[in-house]
Amino acid sequence: MKKPFRYTLALAAAGAMALTACADPGADSGSGGPVDWPAQDADLSGTTLTIWAAQNSNTVPDSVIAGFEELTGAEVEVVTVPDPYEQGVQTKVATGDKPDLAFWQPTASQLTALNASQNLQPLDDAPWLDAYEPELRDITGILDGTRYATLITTPAVQGVYYNKEVFAANGITEAPADWGAFVELARDLKADGVTPFHEMGADRWGTQWWVQVQLADAAADGLWDRVNAAEEEFTDPAIQGAIDTYNDLIEEGLFNEDIKTATFEDQGAALLAGDAAMVVQVNSFFGQLQSLADTDELNEKIGFFPIAPSGNVGTFIPDQSNALVAFRTGDADQESAARQLLSYWMGEGYQGFVDAQSTVSLQSGVDTPADVPDALLSVSESLGGSVGSMQASAIANPDLYIYLADMIQGTKTPAEVAEATQSQFNELAKAQGAEGF
Amino acid sequence: MSTNLTPATGAARPHRKDHPLWFLIPALAVLVVFFFVPTLFNFVYAFTDWSSFKSEINFAGFDNFASLFGNGTLLNALKVTLVYAVLVAIFQNLFGLGLALLLERDTRVNRAVRVAFFVPVIMSALAVGYIFQALLKPDGALNGIIGLLTGSDVSIPWLGNTTWTIVVVAIVHAWKWMGLSMLIYLAGLKTIGDDVLEAGRLDGAGRWTMFRSIKFPLLAPAVTFNVATALLGSMNGFDIVQATTEGGPGGTTELLNIFIFRTFGQGLFAQATTMSLVLFLTVTVLAFPVIRFLRKREDVL
Repeated sequence: MKKPFRYTLALAAAGAMALTACADPGADSGSGGPVDWPAQDADLSGTTLTIWAAQNSNTVPDSVIAGFEELTGAEVEVVTVPDPYEQGVQTKVATGDKPDLAFWQPTASQLTALNASQNLQPLDDAPWLDAYEPELRDITGILDGTRYATLITTPAVQGVYYNKEVFAANGITEAPADWGAFVELARDLKADGVTPFHEMGADRWGTQWWVQVQLADAAADGLWDRVNAAEEEFTDPAIQGAIDTYNDLIEEGLFNEDIKTATFEDQGAALLAGDAAMVVQVNSFFGQLQSLADTDELNEKIGFFPIAPSGNVGTFIPDQSNALVAFRTGDADQESAARQLLSYWMGEGYQGFVDAQSTVSLQSGVDTPADVPDALLSVSESLGGSVGSMQASAIANPDLYIYLADMIQGTKTPAEVAEATQSQFNELAKAQGAEGF
Repeated sequence: MSTNLTPATGAARPHRKDHPLWFLIPALAVLVVFFFVPTLFNFVYAFTDWSSFKSEINFAGFDNFASLFGNGTLLNALKVTLVYAVLVAIFQNLFGLGLALLLERDTRVNRAVRVAFFVPVIMSALAVGYIFQALLKPDGALNGIIGLLTGSDVSIPWLGNTTWTIVVVAIVHAWKWMGLSMLIYLAGLKTIGDDVLEAGRLDGAGRWTMFRSIKFPLLAPAVTFNVATALLGSMNGFDIVQATTEGGPGGTTELLNIFIFRTFGQGLFAQATTMSLVLFLTVTVLAFPVIRFLRKREDVL
């Protein structure tokens, strides 16, 4: 009884192996770049397009979809991929599942993570490119000289959100003009009994902004290119110095007392209530504030200025809700329809889109709606002169924020943070086949 | 096969006729497709460079193992996993045994209470995690209750302590599963013959002696099952820890499965597979001596 059973098992296993071994997840025949961009109103009756979106971006396309469906007769379905979104999408794509379009972080590291050259349609000759504000046109979405993502809303900028009332109560009339003045201001505030900075050690992800804003000048000078080429490491003075400074500021007591246990929600509440004067954050933090207060109150209380060692330079970091990618599905008609939807989105549909989203327009010919809060206008104004963040410019996105949170909890030294980040960066770069790793 | 009542003697094996081998095929197919092949691939992919960054998958030898053991993170995660598993095994069995002894008698109240303690077992582990996360926040309900009792403002960060949070999370895990241990201990207690207990009572044994000398030794098979499942099951723990601490604070509750999840999320599929292979091997290596030891305990009786 035993022997034939084993034999059958082995045979079945071998059969299953032979079947599955041939399947290569993620493999796709690369076709040439698309040449035709269909007219925005070309008839698409009977075509169904699928857009993957995250939980926080799945209603973003509503107004555009309504307009597009009416204009072309196509049907557009938004499929919500649960959080963590990037992970979910990567896993699906790796196993051969693809939508026509998807929200995606338009950065080099995330486009690489999606294997852009194999899986995404190039958008190099897209008809809407000239409509962008000139300084925003090529800011992101490009990998190895090819454009794969199209920016639909202003990318987030890392910078300082401050409480205007706290500043006014302490006689501060102007935002600090450089890093030195920024830290000086914090020390003055502390001397007056105000908590200068708020950080969310428990939710971890905000910790990395403090290091990244300090690297803005180095980034403008090609820091991330050198890191990408293995010519400079996280443990070298530039990045290590920024980590050390962050740690020193925490040890100096310039942050909230509950830094180890504070969460993202606490951070928003603390700034709004004036319990802390400043928070280094990105746009999603403002979204959190918007859930706590209306536009008038926010205009009155909350301001934004970018900061970098040399001056008021922002560090931009696009996220998934800012951009779209079009997939190579292997079906020419579907691919063409996907391009047509993008043309409409960034073309005739764009004014309706920014109005519906109350967001800042990226195009010179399209007006920003009047109900956009002041702080967001400041953010978008700083975008033109801003430099790329680690996420935007490095080929890999290591878990720097987790290691920094470990440092706040006391389980890693600043030196260990840099070492752990570099070692993870090496692994990711090696997996990508980057030269020098 | 066990249904065959006549002993299979001689060359003729009559049960072959009414149970042909091909009856196995449906079950075998399910086993092969959903268990055998994935396990096999767990081994295969660990030796490749499979990632989300490129389409082709190449053989990479022991590269993944070398780089994983090279930096200390894997060993740290493995250590945390072991500590967590041991803690869960201890707490879950203490709670389960305690409940079983308390609720041993078949009264109506006891039956109702047993059901109440079994409810967490059928709850979603993530839901349990999120509920406790809310309860244990610095401004959460637990601190509120303690504050009310002591009359002072309490803000203990139960999930924010780099030394003790792993114990707290292990207790949450044990709380969720203690109902199951209770059930198995109850079943074990039921198998102890009345004559044995009566003999003990006649000899003048008190409650404690009865437990120590009669009940606990006779519960050995239940202990074996409970300790082995709690220990080996919590080595594969993920959901409760992910919901309460996400591996924090400072990586002190980063179980191997959370590390695997994070690595997979980075697109390093082969490395994540290598880690799960390491976990699989660790559980296997641990399972044999633990189960053998516990079985030996049963034999002594």
